Formats: sequence, C-alpha cells, structure tokens
Amino acid sequence: MIALDEWQERARAWLAQAVPEFGLAARAGLTQDEDLEVGRRYMAAKYDVGFSGITLPPEFGGQGLSRLHKVLFDTLEMQVAMPVGYFGVSTAMPLPILIRYCEDKAWVRERVIAALRGEEIWCQLFSEPAAGSDLAGLRTRAEGGEQGWTVNGQKLWTTFAQYSDYGILVARSDPSVPKHKGLTFFWIDMKAPGVTVRPFRLANGDIQCNEVFFDDVAMADSQRLGPVGEGFSVAIATLMIERYAASDADGFGPPIEAFIETLRPLTINGRPALEDGRVRGVIARNHALRQGLDSIRRRALLAMEAGMEPGPEGSLNKLFSVRSRQKLSELALDLQGAGGLSYAEGAYTKADWATSWMGAPTMRLAGGADEMLLNTIAEKILGLPQDYRPDKGVPFNAIPV
Amino acid sequence: MSILHDETQQEIAAETARVLGARRDKARLLEVLDRCGEWDEGFWRTAVEQGWTGLAVPEDFDGLGLGLTELGLVAQEAGRVISGAPFLTYGHGAVCALLACGDEALQDAWLPRLAQGEVRAAIAFAEGTDPIPLCPQVEYRDGGLHGEKAGVAGALAADIAVVSASRDGTPVLVLADLNAAVSGQLERTAIHSIDNGRLFANLGFHGLPATVLAEGDAARDLALEMQAQMAVLAAHEQTGGAEALMLAARDYAVERKAFGQPIGAFQSVKHRIAELYGLVEIARANCIHAASLQGQAGFLEAAACARLSATEAYDTAARDAVQIHGGTGVTWEGALHLHTRRARSLAIELGNGLFWEDVLVTGLTGVAA
Ligand SMILES: Cc1cc2nc3c(=O)[nH]c(=O)nc-3n(C[C@H](O)[C@H](O)[C@H](O)COP(=O)(O)OP(=O)(O)OC[C@H]3O[C@@H](n4cnc5c(N)ncnc54)[C@H](O)[C@@H]3O)c2cc1C
Repeated sequence: MIALDEWQERARAWLAQAVPEFGLAARAGLTQDEDLEVGRRYMAAKYDVGFSGITLPPEFGGQGLSRLHKVLFDTLEMQVAMPVGYFGVSTAMPLPILIRYCEDKAWVRERVIAALRGEEIWCQLFSEPAAGSDLAGLRTRAEGGEQGWTVNGQKLWTTFAQYSDYGILVARSDPSVPKHKGLTFFWIDMKAPGVTVRPFRLANGDIQCNEVFFDDVAMADSQRLGPVGEGFSVAIATLMIERYAASDADGFGPPIEAFIETLRPLTINGRPALEDGRVRGVIARNHALRQGLDSIRRRALLAMEAGMEPGPEGSLNKLFSVRSRQKLSELALDLQGAGGLSYAEGAYTKADWATSWMGAPTMRLAGGADEMLLNTIAEKILGLPQDYRPDKGVPFNAIPV
Repeated sequence: MSILHDETQQEIAAETARVLGARRDKARLLEVLDRCGEWDEGFWRTAVEQGWTGLAVPEDFDGLGLGLTELGLVAQEAGRVISGAPFLTYGHGAVCALLACGDEALQDAWLPRLAQGEVRAAIAFAEGTDPIPLCPQVEYRDGGLHGEKAGVAGALAADIAVVSASRDGTPVLVLADLNAAVSGQLERTAIHSIDNGRLFANLGFHGLPATVLAEGDAARDLALEMQAQMAVLAAHEQTGGAEALMLAARDYAVERKAFGQPIGAFQSVKHRIAELYGLVEIARANCIHAASLQGQAGFLEAAACARLSATEAYDTAARDAVQIHGGTGVTWEGALHLHTRRARSLAIELGNGLFWEDVLVTGLTGVAA
C-alpha cells in the first residue's frame, strides 16, 4: 500500500485539476437538475481514478482502504466544494449494508458500482410523520414472509428520493411486540408500482426532501436485509457507519477567517468593527471552540493512523459546531446592516452567511437532533439513566396514539 | 510534539493521578481556607518528591528535559484534586525567564534549585486591573525595586520573584531573591482571599535588590511568552478541575433520587452534564494542542484558546455541578466550594477572559483592541 501522505497528495492534485470542470464557479447559475448531471459526471470521473468507495472491498468495486483514507479524502473534497451532495446518503449507508446482508453478490456488485459512478442513486427511508427521533415508533407496515412482502404506509423527509432508483427501508413487520422488536429492514425499488414520491420545499428554498407513499408495493423476500424483527439493529448499524465521517469544526458554515474578513471593512459607532469588544469576544469564543473541535478531530485521525480506536469525544462535533455556525451567521448578517438582507438561494453554505444561517436549523435536526445527541452523550458516554419512557416494553399496537 | 500522547506521557498522567488521589487531604484543604498564610505543604512535598518541579527544566540544570505537555498532564491531575500550592505554574514561569535571559551565572545559581524544588518562585506582573502593563509603575533604579505589585499568587511563601518594572521608562524583567531582603526592603501584605491556599499577597518593594533578565521589547515579549506558558498550565489545572466537577455531578445524578427516579433521568440535569462533558473535552483538546506548540509559531493564539475554553469549562462546571448537588452542593463539608473558589482564583490569576480574548483576536486579525 502506498504511504498515506503520498496518497493524500495524489488526491489533492486530482481534486485541484477537477475544480475548473466541477467546482463552484463552473456550476454557478445551474438548475438543480443540471447541477445533478454535473455531479454524475464528477462521480464517474472520480470512480475512474480510484477515489470512490474508499473503504469498500475491492471485490465490490471499492478501494479497500482505511477509514482514515476516507476521512482525509472527504475533507479535501469538501474544501473544494465538489457536487457530491446528491450522492451523500446514497454512497454512505446503503452500500455497506447491501454488501453485508444481500445474498446475490453479483447483483450487489453491479449496484455498488452504479451508485459509486453516480449512475444510480439510493435513498434512506427511515423517518415518518410520526417517527423521527423516535425511529422505532414508525408505522409503515410490511406484511408477508418468505412468499414475499407487501408494503403500505408513508415516509417523510427522504432526501433526494425524487432522484432515487432504490432505497433502504425500515418497516413494521410485527405490531404485536414492543416497538424495537417488530421492525424489518429491506431494500426497495423506487420505480416499483405503488411507490409515489412527492418533493416539497424546505424553509431555505431547497427542494431535496420528499414524502414517499407506499400503496401495496410488492417486495420479494430476497429484498430483506437481516433477519425478520431485527430491523432496528440493522438501522442503528447503518447510522453508525458514518460515525467517523469528515467532520467540520465550522459546522459546514463559513470559517472564522471569513467572519473576520466580512467584518474588516465594517464600522460600529464610527470605529472599525474589529476593534469592538463585543465583536472581539465573539471571534475569540468561537475560534477557541472550533480550534478545540479541530484538535479533537486531528487527534482522532492520528489515533486511527496508529491503529487505535478514537475516543468518544468525536461525537461532540455536530452539536457544538452547528450551534456556533448558527449564531455566528446571525451576527455576520446583522453587522452588515442592509448588506445582510440579500439572499441568493442555493449558495454554498461554507461561503455565504445567509445560506449558512438559513440552513443551520436543518443541521440541528437532521442526523440526530441536538437533544438526541445530548441524550446519547449522557447515556452512552457518561452512563446517565435513560429518560422515562412510558412505551418501554409495551406491544406496539397497545401504545396509545 | 504530537497531540496524541505517547506511552510515557500516558504513564506520567496515570502515575500522577494515582499519587495525588491517594494523598489528597480534603480536611487540610478546607482548613487552609480559614487560615490566611497557610497552604497545603503536603502537596508541595509530593511535587518535589515526584520530581514534578524538574519535569520541564533542561537536563543540564538537573531537570528531566521534558516540556509543557508533560507538565501540563501533571497540572491537570493537580487541578482535579485542587492542588495545594501555586508553585508548579510559577516555578515554570521562572524557569522560562531564566532560560531566556542567557545569563549563565544566574541560570547556574537558580535553575538546579528550582528543578529540585529547593526554591519556590512567584511571578509579579499585574498592576491594578492590567495583567501585563506595558509600562509598569514599579520602578527599577540603582539595582533595586521600588513600588507595589498587587495580588501576587504564591507570594507569601515564595523565595524568588520575577518582577516586571520600568527603568527610565523602559520595561525590564528582573529576578529578586526575596529572602535576601534586609531592613524593610520588602513588605509582604497578606490578602485574606476566597482561596487562601493560593498565598496571595501584595508585594511592596523599597529598594529590594534585583538582577535584570531582559529589557526593552525583549522584556515585553518574554513577559507575554511566560504568561502564555503559565496560562497553558493553569488551563490544564482548570480542565482537571472541571472534569472532576463534571464527574461528581454525574455520580450524584445517578445516585440521588427525586420524584421516583434518579435526578439524572431529568433532561435538564442530564443535558447539563452532557454539555459539561463537551466543554471539558474541548478545553482538554485545546490544552493538548497549545502544549504541543510550545516554542513554535501560533503558540500564543493556541494558549489563548486553551485558557478561554478552560476558564469557561471550569466556571460552567462550578455553577452547574453545585446546582445539581442541591443543598449538599453549598455545605462547607461537601467541599465543592473548594472548586468554586479555585475556579475564581485561577480565572483571575494570569489574566481574565477579556485579556485573553484580546490576545487571541489581535493575533488573528492584526487589529488591536
Ligand atoms: C433536511 C432533512 C433531511 C432529512 N433526510 C432524511 C432522510 O433522507 N431519511 C430519513 O429517514 N430521515 C431524514 N430526515 C429526518 C430526520 O432524521 C428527522 O427530522 C429527525 O430525526 C428529527 O425527527 P422529527 O423531525 O420527527 O422531530 P421530532 O423527533 O418530532 O423532534 C421534535 C423536537 O423534539 C425533540 N425531542 C424528540 N424526542 C426527544 C427526547 N426523547 N428528548 C428530548 N427532546 C426530544 C427533538 O430534539 C426536536 O427538538 C431529514 C430531516 C431533515 C430536516
């Protein structure tokens, strides 16, 4: 295997030459559909040079490299803002799950390569109108067994379902047992009869989330991933896969340096804004916080490089960095006065204060709401007791609605 | 220096924790609070016996030749058990000053004795509300110091002091042997404080002889560098204290019941402890990062980050851990106030949050306050 820094240099060089064709400037003014097409071309190019499926086994079209390689590449890729958002869910969770649980390995290999090349897109059908944080409370039903299954119900939020060819799905196969025990995991064909996808607009203008309806959708038993009734563990395993994803101490918003440069020409009470004690306090506090998160990240990378398991403090990043991003973006807009009012929908969140600010609430909910992250830290790291849960141990169909 | 601790460093931390854990004397710490001028000499004997005083002193001067990372790990453990003496941090400040001064006779005279723990040092920079005055009021003339430094930590039991002063309007850093004072050259006025073990005193100088270590811009730069190194050690202590409080709150929340369940099952309690965990880990990461940059570019800003996040962690932990303990949190015997008091004294010593915010932001933006 080639040395890590050499590999990283190669990645950096390849990304640098890809910027003119796929970078932000090249995509300015494109519609989402056009942008997606550029994204697909980028994914194919990346696959051809061997930077796709970094941690996936070579026999399935991956590179068979370490988590560290992946984190390093993702970090570099984020810095140059490549059009990978459409494929984020698709290439992260579904592929390892398919590889692990799906019996038809030749079919899996085809799917993995098509997803890595951006030719096919997968979505994640977990959340529902009545089941978000409380994922195990989901109501979509899967009835049947070895002869085949029928799905009925509704999913909500499903990111990029409007572009998806396939999805991974958790559904309730047995309502007569407690909620965590009656779930089963499947893959589903998004083009199958009875699947309806309805995109809706988010508060920041983005059209990426969908309602997905299932009306008597048929699935073969071979579409089941993992044993009947074990869907919750498979789902949790899915969510754990991305634990070490590239984290960003700026919460995917603009960095402190951008805040400083935004403020440099501004004045407060006729004096330079950067001389104002309140502004200085904000800069210092946010920088110290992000510097700490960044040190945690770098220490985790070093631990991985040394073959050790990184500490649990890596789980702090999203909680702390996104709150910092939200408040800093507020202030950056306010201090610009009328200059803070203009809004260009769909700008890059790491480069535009209004977009960063409008998108921050989403980040505090999706992928684990702040409150759920605090619960996880408290319970899993510190050993504090679970909340009072009146539905614990109660058969799902006996829980009052 | 790597930010991933190696085995030796992990051992230093574990061994320090073991020794200090076994010898912690809560009764003595509480007693000292009432007695201005007393301190926990047992802690200091342990520090000397364990060789912590010489950890970051070069081998040429009878030290172990390690650095801020190792001394920081000791400081973190000392903070966890509320170290009984302020001299590790200030001794390190004196070591920095002597190493930088380049005067071999002075180095030979003091560094081995600092390394062996034979002398205890205090650092006297602050005047009024200014942690490092640009033009100190204390004057240095005819080889002696004149004027007053207020609130010097460790001053009641220090043998030597590094003092900032002005000589004909130019800043100087000087070293004074406090034990060499004769007939009223030195007045130590004890401050009865919220944290008496810190041995705070006002130092009045009336011609106390002292030797110049640095002058002009070099004196200013050295004072800031010393302050930053000491602040990184203090930040480790604060982080250790914050973590101890966070864990105490956790333990209490698991054990104490109200309304039929452990109070730790109430989210307003549980989430507060989870937030403390975050503040502690962020402070720790900043401490490790800053210590690893000792002597390199960016050290000052990293030290400021460590100091700011550690002060926030300790203060927040002091407020919230007491709250989570209910009435037990505010009793004398419960002793949480040892941490509450230490959080305050450590936040005031070495410059408050506003001072470090300005150090950091001036470094980041190039714009002074
Ligand atoms: C932009 C976006 C994209 C998404 N993409 C997908 C996707 O592709 N696939 C998918 O399956 N899901 C997706 N989601 C759904 C996401 O996972 C959920 O929104 C999230 O889990 C929160 O669930 P909820 O919205 O139902 O809120 P709720 O769970 O109803 O939470 C509402 C509020 O109550 C709080 N709360 C809930 N339970 C507790 C508790 N025990 N203690 C304290 N507070 C609590 C929450 O923290 C939150 O503040 C997406 C969401 C968004 C916003």
